[in-house]
Amino acid sequence: MTGIVGAIVEAWDELRIHKLRVLLALIGVAVAVCAITGITAAAQMMNQAVKEQTERSGGRATTLMVSAYPTGSVAPTGEQYDAEFTQIVERYGVEYASRELYSQLTFRFPNGAQPVQVQAVDVDYGVMRRVQPVQGTWFAEADADRFAPAVVVNEDFLELLGVSDLSGHPTVMLGGKTPVRTTILGVVATQWEGEGPTAFLLYDHFTRWASPDVQYGPVVPNLSLWVPPEMADELTELVRRDMSAGLPGTQTDVYQQGGGFDVLEGGARWVITGIGGVALLLGGLGLVNIALVTVRYRIREIGIRRSFGATSGRVFFGVLMESVVATVLAGLLGVMAAIVIIKNIPVERIFGAGLQDVPPFPLSAALVGMACATAVGALAGLIPAIVAVRVKVIDAIRY
Amino acid sequence: MALLELTDVTRSVRLPDDRILAILQGVTLSVDAGEHVAVVGRSGTGKSTLLNILGLLDAPTSGEYVLDGTPIGRLSGRARARRRGDDFGFVFQQFNLLPGRTALENVAAPLMYARGKTFWRRFTLAAQMLDRVGLGDRLDTMPDKLSGGEQQRVAIARALVRRPRVILADEPTGALDVETGGEVMSLLDEIASESGAALIAITHDLAVAARAQRHYRLAGGVLLPIVLNAPGQVTEWIGDLPVSAPLATAVPITLEEDRA
Repeated sequence: MTGIVGAIVEAWDELRIHKLRVLLALIGVAVAVCAITGITAAAQMMNQAVKEQTERSGGRATTLMVSAYPTGSVAPTGEQYDAEFTQIVERYGVEYASRELYSQLTFRFPNGAQPVQVQAVDVDYGVMRRVQPVQGTWFAEADADRFAPAVVVNEDFLELLGVSDLSGHPTVMLGGKTPVRTTILGVVATQWEGEGPTAFLLYDHFTRWASPDVQYGPVVPNLSLWVPPEMADELTELVRRDMSAGLPGTQTDVYQQGGGFDVLEGGARWVITGIGGVALLLGGLGLVNIALVTVRYRIREIGIRRSFGATSGRVFFGVLMESVVATVLAGLLGVMAAIVIIKNIPVERIFGAGLQDVPPFPLSAALVGMACATAVGALAGLIPAIVAVRVKVIDAIRY
Repeated sequence: MALLELTDVTRSVRLPDDRILAILQGVTLSVDAGEHVAVVGRSGTGKSTLLNILGLLDAPTSGEYVLDGTPIGRLSGRARARRRGDDFGFVFQQFNLLPGRTALENVAAPLMYARGKTFWRRFTLAAQMLDRVGLGDRLDTMPDKLSGGEQQRVAIARALVRRPRVILADEPTGALDVETGGEVMSLLDEIASESGAALIAITHDLAVAARAQRHYRLAGGVLLPIVLNAPGQVTEWIGDLPVSAPLATAVPITLEEDRA
């Protein structure tokens, strides 16, 4: 016990005394560990950003987009669509599903009525497409029971309304056969410059209160289903079969959206790991070099320690430990630096959008970095340790 | 039973041209616990080799070395290292303090190889030892800020901090002036006597050697007992020999170049 503690204390003392030397040798190791850990973490963050972007537009992995367009002159009614959609969702126990349809509705703005692109969806749509209101909230389950419709609008809509925020609980008249006052629940960011006003409406509110513009074409609802990726293929077939049978006279399509995307897949991973590895190797070589020079410089000291009763094993372990303790410290610094850098990355500016689910700093990357640092320390310490043990005590003392 | 006993010990090395050089020949020496022994001899006569063999830093080519009843030849390298740490304290001519470490850390250094309570209390023990050699107020001073005499006192404290049974001093005053050398030797004698440790000093300084109870002369690798400074006599180097003469007719002190 005291042997091990003694060796570690001795190693620490050596590092303390040769601070500058150690510092110089370790910068390389720390930078390499920082690079390996940081790059892995950054790639994970980038993956997440890309994934979230993809999911916003195409749904999460894996989303089944189900549509049944009438092929003849007779189209199924909204109720028939609803009944069929409900059956499918219940039959396959789909946890997140949303009916979706695009339409155009007229809203009354202070400067006159204006047609607005409207998307009627179910509450689950918010989770499935990672909708992040910049103000207010997305729909909740209870909103379906409102006595008047509620909308989530985009920033252009709000601007057109002459309102800057939701603090005054703004409302807007939804025109049509029976105009109705709608409450604005939330505001989402405008997707692109000049997008114009858009709004989300709950599907049930749409069927109850909306009078779609007939010139906009027939209103055919779609169904989005968020299903486990491993079941996606099987469900695609089953849903297509069920829809065709349940809604005769329609062309049923089911396609998958929202595949995952891994920027660290394949070659990129190897390139990044390779760069980190080379950096670590260079750091390690620097360490071997300096450790060797130091051992030669310290031959007398090693001899003196032998006169205190240090065994060859202890001398070997001591020199090895110096290197390991040093690289572990450097590794720790490297990992810490990587964390600081990653946590301070201006995500929005680099990836174009804020992250909803910021991935935690990858523990695995930190552990790999630390393991690499320790291994490099052990390898770098091996040669000087062997040199130290082979020193002849008598010569060493006279050195 | 003697604390350490060398019987017919030889030490030789093979030279690059394959000749064998005998450094020690048939050395027989017995030292009891607490005894003070001096070995005198000119440079290159094998003094340091003898000390290294005694201190288990080197092994004899032939002959037997028994330390406190244990034949050393039968011990493993590891066991020898342990005995070296437990039983011996070294005082070197060049002090050999560890650079970059304070006086306290230097004295505590041998205790890093001790076990149990001694290991954990190393700084307390080291501070006590430094206090004993009169450096209680210089604990945190670096060796390069200490005078030669102070450095050797730190080295003495370091040699004694593990309470060794034998102190091996290799030219302990070699790097000090006469006055400081005398003070350091007095301290070494005193502390060695206090702790009951045997003191074996090798030196070419006859005044230092004269402090011991028994004296030996090493010349050409052969160890012979001699008498230094018998009552009414002084001893002087005559060539390779320390020669005693009556005080009144003492040979004049010869200069170094005259001796050669």
